[in-house]
Amino acid sequence: MKEIYYKVAGHVFAFEIEEGDRDVLCDLRQYEPFVADPTEDTVFRLRICSKQANTTGFIQEMEQKDGVQTIRAGRIGMQPCFIFLWQGVLKSVLVCNEDFQKGDVYVENYNLFGINNAVMVLYALATANRLTALFHSSVVSYKDKAYMFLGQSGTGKSTHARLWLEYIEGSELVNDDNPVVRVLDDGSIRVYGSPWSGKTPCYRNVSYPIGAIVMLRQAPRNTIVRLRPPEAFAALVDSISGMRWNQMIANGLYETEVNIISHVMICHLDCLPDEEAARLCMFNVSG
Amino acid sequence: MTLKKGLVLREVCGEYVIVGEGLEALDFGKMISLNETSAWLWKKAEEIGNFTIDNLVESLFGHFDVSIDRARIDVTNIVNEWISVGIVEADD
Repeated sequence: MKEIYYKVAGHVFAFEIEEGDRDVLCDLRQYEPFVADPTEDTVFRLRICSKQANTTGFIQEMEQKDGVQTIRAGRIGMQPCFIFLWQGVLKSVLVCNEDFQKGDVYVENYNLFGINNAVMVLYALATANRLTALFHSSVVSYKDKAYMFLGQSGTGKSTHARLWLEYIEGSELVNDDNPVVRVLDDGSIRVYGSPWSGKTPCYRNVSYPIGAIVMLRQAPRNTIVRLRPPEAFAALVDSISGMRWNQMIANGLYETEVNIISHVMICHLDCLPDEEAARLCMFNVSG
Repeated sequence: MTLKKGLVLREVCGEYVIVGEGLEALDFGKMISLNETSAWLWKKAEEIGNFTIDNLVESLFGHFDVSIDRARIDVTNIVNEWISVGIVEADD
């Protein structure tokens, strides 16, 4: 049994990997920038193994499809259980303790999709009551602050981030898919790079205070407005993963969301995929 | 009538929204903004459980400085709006 520790957004978690005939750690390159020292103080410990999962007794509570990916959430007995499929094919099964501090993931042939999705879900659930949220967002840094772009899949978050990188000198990509936001003890709110960056490989162990959060929508003209609390709340809720039917999780995420809305500018940008959109956004949110 | 299961009242910087969080409301797909009076009535309706317009009229009249007629008008309007946006379930 090999153990390895990682730290993302200040939270340490551990993988326990069975010694097998494959060195799984070689495939986990995206986690390398996040390697951490061993500690007792983990948010979760995840055992990763490749034997076939036993899903007898699985009771499904919810199914979520996003393109070719499907997550089925439910339980086996008292234990939360998640089944991850790609194009209808089973890729992994995660079974956790009720407090989400320990989990077992059965990953067919140690496939990365199966591992990463299970880790992301467990991370989101284990940190939900620690003023932490896993976002679906593209993030750029500019002049020591970070700017987060939100929107449904396909609305152009990555495109807008790339426009910043191209036209806004000094901007850099922090993460292109799943950054982590955390409210710290001193009340400051930071966004962190993560091992999960989906489309554009961008695994950076960096963090920045959040300059602004921008909800994007495709439109024939570029316009930006500041969102009022209820609309800002709606924008955030849609962009944060979590099992909201678990009251502890829902309340935890709510605390994080309210903190963000109270301290961070949240805007809505109707935009074209052009240079003007990036400049308009930058002028309005940074300064 | 009862409030639709799985909906939760959340306060955001002094404003109130109804959000679907429970399994029964996962496909609710929208958020409803409530003013202060509506939010207050929502909390009362949650306490009562299976409530009627009369229940809420009595509560409003008892708590705020309004006439019983004004209370009835306000509550009826608010509850009708709740029904029209699908956040209240009528008795079968």
